[in-house]
Amino acid sequence: MTTTPRNVLPKGVSANDFEQALAQIRAIVGAEYVVAEDTALAPYNKIMMAVPDEQHAPSAAVMPDSVEQIQAIMKVLNQHRIPVYPISTGKNLGYGSAAPVERGQLVMDLRRMNRILDVDAELCTALVEPGVTYQQLYDYLQEKKLPLWFSCPAPSVIAGPLGNMVDRGVGYTPYGEHFLFSSGMEVVLADGEVLRTGMGSMPGSNTWQVFKWGYGPTLDGIFTQSNYGIVTKMGMWLMPAPPDYRPFLIQYPEDTDITKIVDALRPLRIAMVIPNAVVIAHTLWEAPCTKVNRADYHPGPGAISDEAVQKIRKDHNLGAWNVYAALYGTPETNAANWKIIEQVAAATGGTLITDSTEQGGRATQYRFDLMKGKPNLGEFDLYNWRGGGGSMWFAPVSQAKGSETLKQMQLAKGILAKYGFDYVGEFIVGWRDMHHVIDLLYDRSDAEQMKKAHACFDELLQAFAREGYGVYRANTAFAEKVAATYGPVKRDVERRLKRALDPNNIIAPGRCGISI
Amino acid sequence: MQSNKIRILVASLALSCAHIALAADPPAEGRDRTYAKVCSFCHDKGVGPAILGRALPAAYIENVVRHGFRAMPSFRSSEIDNTALASVARWVSQSPASKASTASPASPAPSAAPATKAQ
Repeated sequence: MTTTPRNVLPKGVSANDFEQALAQIRAIVGAEYVVAEDTALAPYNKIMMAVPDEQHAPSAAVMPDSVEQIQAIMKVLNQHRIPVYPISTGKNLGYGSAAPVERGQLVMDLRRMNRILDVDAELCTALVEPGVTYQQLYDYLQEKKLPLWFSCPAPSVIAGPLGNMVDRGVGYTPYGEHFLFSSGMEVVLADGEVLRTGMGSMPGSNTWQVFKWGYGPTLDGIFTQSNYGIVTKMGMWLMPAPPDYRPFLIQYPEDTDITKIVDALRPLRIAMVIPNAVVIAHTLWEAPCTKVNRADYHPGPGAISDEAVQKIRKDHNLGAWNVYAALYGTPETNAANWKIIEQVAAATGGTLITDSTEQGGRATQYRFDLMKGKPNLGEFDLYNWRGGGGSMWFAPVSQAKGSETLKQMQLAKGILAKYGFDYVGEFIVGWRDMHHVIDLLYDRSDAEQMKKAHACFDELLQAFAREGYGVYRANTAFAEKVAATYGPVKRDVERRLKRALDPNNIIAPGRCGISI
Repeated sequence: MQSNKIRILVASLALSCAHIALAADPPAEGRDRTYAKVCSFCHDKGVGPAILGRALPAAYIENVVRHGFRAMPSFRSSEIDNTALASVARWVSQSPASKASTASPASPAPSAAPATKAQ
């Protein structure tokens, strides 16, 4: 039992009550799996957002190893009204990492629950726990010599499929819209009850991972980007490794080329000639990942100039826009579709690159790996652009129409420049939508930049909302403000659901702006 | 007849797939497992600074892993437990520079170790 007074307590909970609860929780999971000292809690408080660490400081962390332990913990938390913030791998970097949405919440760290419970090689499905990382799943499939691929996001070595899907993240293979390719969840509710969604509700069913919908309302969606339960298992679909994989890059020289790129590629994506989530990355996304040093082109303060960006393009053979996509099929089908790709590239004035080692650089290599679901951390090069560990993703959704993309790009670039930040953006083509993902990179060790980054994110959010553009996902510091852009009725329904499912408001209150 | 054709196609697909699956990464070759499975993805690839061959103090390495540093994420005991952390820190501290490394030499000095944060 500690004798030093605690710096951080859950909101509305007395020190005595908290100590009592911790003692009960230690009895459930074992003392070594409860962390409540400030120093030991440091890994749970490393954030990249432009707000003080203190705002997201946890009161404690608990590392259960089973559903039964989670059920028992939920009883204790209800009894003492202690808010809990569940994390899976805790690597939602730039969206909040492993830190709770509100100061004082107790982190429930599910990383130890890292079992790959099932892989069905015939049906191409998997069932995983929250702590499974993409690298772990990759190694498992390699060791068992199973020719199955998955889709993963850029931080795939250390992040995992369950957490990413629950936050509705995206990847780069034909299965890139991750929630779409999930099938079945197990959820521990606030009262400790365990729900299996879809076919998983039925005793003896063997179709949990193959048929998502079940009978009656499909509930999976309410457990994504929310706080209605703790997801402890998730089914996911795997893709048979294609006999022929043809990744490619098409480079375009001008910013304004984005309109014709999108309008030319959209029909191919919708018709699934290009089956994967096409990425259209701007120069300043490629430059850090090609080891361009920003200071060589822009030594002073403020946003980088257009002239400097032009020079980077010329010096390093980068496009204004760099389109990454791939063909997946047999040599015969890919040969047929390849002709279409060549025609489209030629007709739109793009330069087609297929060899990552000869023609492309290190950025091309990590992209080609990601499009076949091979985990890597190549994209972390982005963080070297400004240095200092500050990053917040601003990610508005756009129609897959050329005119819309240019409008969004110009709107974002203007606001970023006003605060001295660069436009580091890419468009990820879903199907008919695009996730316009912008990394607001800043030096978190510089107080002035912190302040500006916060104000800049706020202005981006409001300016885009005025145009009717909403973000698909957001960091925890801005959860409330983002939720407000979606209007009052949706929020009222979410609050009513919260009251029904979690009347004591103990699961991550404030997550995605949902609370009682 | 038709179904035989399909069977043959499926068999040949499966064969091609198996070929792809076998083209796996080379084994870690005596490297510390945590280093091979986590650290190396940045520190051997020039994303983060090279950390091998610099005799960095093990205590410094442990501190950086737990706290994170600038853009480097922190790692919790649920990911890298204390035993694995002690092992990788010792291994990194004692290892010569990696031949395969494409890492840049630019790196923070150990004196820049993050202090324990006050909450």
